Amino acid sequence: MMAQRNAPVVLIVILFALGAAMPFVLKPYHLNMLTEIILFALYAVSYNLLLGYAGLLSFGHAMFFGMGAFTVAVSLIHIPGLSIWSAIGLALAMTTAVGFLTGGLLLRHKGSYFALLTLAFNSLFYAVATKWHTITGGDDGLSVTRPDLALGFTTVSLAGIESFYGFTLVIVGAAIVFCWYFTQTAMGQTVLMMRENEERMKFLGYNTNISRLILFTFTGAVAGLAGAFYTLHFQFCSQSAISVDMTTTVLLMTFVGGTGTFWGPMLGALVYIILQNYLSDITDRWPLFMGLIFVFMVLFIPGGLSQIIQSARDLLAGRRGRGKPMAAKEASS
Amino acid sequence: MSDFPVFFLHGLAYAGLLFLVSAGLTLVFGMMNVLNFAHAAMYMLGAYFSYTLLQATDQFWLSLMLCPILLFAVGALIERFLLRRVHVYGHLHELLLTFGLAYIITEIVKWVWGNFPLAVNIGGLLGDTVEIIGITYPVYRIFIFVCAVFVGTVMALILYRTRLGIILRAAVNDSEMVNALGFNVPLVFMGVFAFGAALSGFAGVIAGPLLTTYPGMAHDILIDAFVVIVVGGFGSLGGAVVASILIGELQSFGVLLFPKLSVALVYLLMAAVLIVKPSGLFGEKQ
Repeated sequence: MMAQRNAPVVLIVILFALGAAMPFVLKPYHLNMLTEIILFALYAVSYNLLLGYAGLLSFGHAMFFGMGAFTVAVSLIHIPGLSIWSAIGLALAMTTAVGFLTGGLLLRHKGSYFALLTLAFNSLFYAVATKWHTITGGDDGLSVTRPDLALGFTTVSLAGIESFYGFTLVIVGAAIVFCWYFTQTAMGQTVLMMRENEERMKFLGYNTNISRLILFTFTGAVAGLAGAFYTLHFQFCSQSAISVDMTTTVLLMTFVGGTGTFWGPMLGALVYIILQNYLSDITDRWPLFMGLIFVFMVLFIPGGLSQIIQSARDLLAGRRGRGKPMAAKEASS
Repeated sequence: MSDFPVFFLHGLAYAGLLFLVSAGLTLVFGMMNVLNFAHAAMYMLGAYFSYTLLQATDQFWLSLMLCPILLFAVGALIERFLLRRVHVYGHLHELLLTFGLAYIITEIVKWVWGNFPLAVNIGGLLGDTVEIIGITYPVYRIFIFVCAVFVGTVMALILYRTRLGIILRAAVNDSEMVNALGFNVPLVFMGVFAFGAALSGFAGVIAGPLLTTYPGMAHDILIDAFVVIVVGGFGSLGGAVVASILIGELQSFGVLLFPKLSVALVYLLMAAVLIVKPSGLFGEKQ
């Protein structure tokens, strides 16, 4: 029992150690790719807290990602000498506020209605980002330079990919760990049980509407953090960060990786970015392949890659009947 | 305000197109509880089929007859071989499937026809202009509105005045019971989905000459059709009529009166309806 409880912690330490070793192993090109994978992993994890844990299918997650990306870009351009911490803090504050306000409206509906409304809201944000040329740069986008990282006792230049990778690994990695911790808290468990039987949770005295709003706001802020790192990574932000395509991206990542586990979406982000990088070299039609993979998964492997891995592991372990984890059920209701 | 009548007619024409798209969407949603994200993609497919057919034959009426039939077949196949498979996993899964299909159709369209707009010209009477209430106005835009009125009337007659309509409405309430009474409910659902697809194809053919055919047309109309459904009320045909006209006119006059705000007006209306009456103007309380 003790060993099982400690397993996630051991895994986290191993992953961080592996991550720390990567700059000595990988070429800058691949280190760039890995940075992208890490920030999209956070984005996908936040999305899965909605889809996999709460059973809410959102088509508007890019509005938080894009809002975080634009907040960092706009604040770095308009406030000279702004530290990287303040820029990220502003992005978090903005997305938290937007999540709270839109959540109040959007969460009035569930299921298909919710999906439809989130898509419409995402389109609204996209339309504003495209038309509000003076702030967002419209079609041209915004170019920024990564500021140095002030640590109090010293200042680190983040201009090179090695140092920025390290920064991303620590901050985004910590955010992913925090999301995992969130699923273990009473709040996270409440959300899970609400998905299973909301009536009963209400009857037991839980205010399910408030819990859902808190979760929605939290995932929005986390997606905003991922968006902030997106701008810092590419040193560029355009309206594509807030477009419905960005929601599609995270939906594909999450679903291909598997909504049934916490780590599935991270695996999905890894596979998606690698496939995107290599398929786009071979063919211009790579989105078509991603779409075909997605539909194939929906039809035949609703649990995604993590379902395959879990059944393979169960097979190897001789079906010792470990019992299904709480989150291991695809979003269906 | 001498432009007033022109913009009013523009609004009505767009409302007609919006109704043709959202009627199919709301029908499938009301009957099968499936929010069909691929609906607008099939509308786009209809527009591109029509473009190719017009290039080959130059017969608009032929295209208006043939494309809906093609889309009917596409819809029937999708329902029979894909949608029915994932039905057991629940509505969100069906939604994900239609979303994936929309994504694939859009990519195929870009592949086959290219990622740029294609203009569709129609000759004859429809391409002409006509003199009404003192202004010269394109016949085609009036034609769109007439088509929408015709389709809306036929749909309402079928749903509320025929035996088929009774079976359809009964299947929504209790599909198991209707099945037990000896009606083939899966076949009924396949028919509804295919009819929705045919309707989207019809709308696509009509949209071609008005808006040109381009790979983003599906996404553009989908958002507006969703807003129509939200404002009008989920699954309500009457709501779709009123909301289509509201949004068509709002789009049209928005450009005239508040050019800077025009993109946001439709969403503001939607947000207002959500705050005041979350189930939509004509929606039943859930």
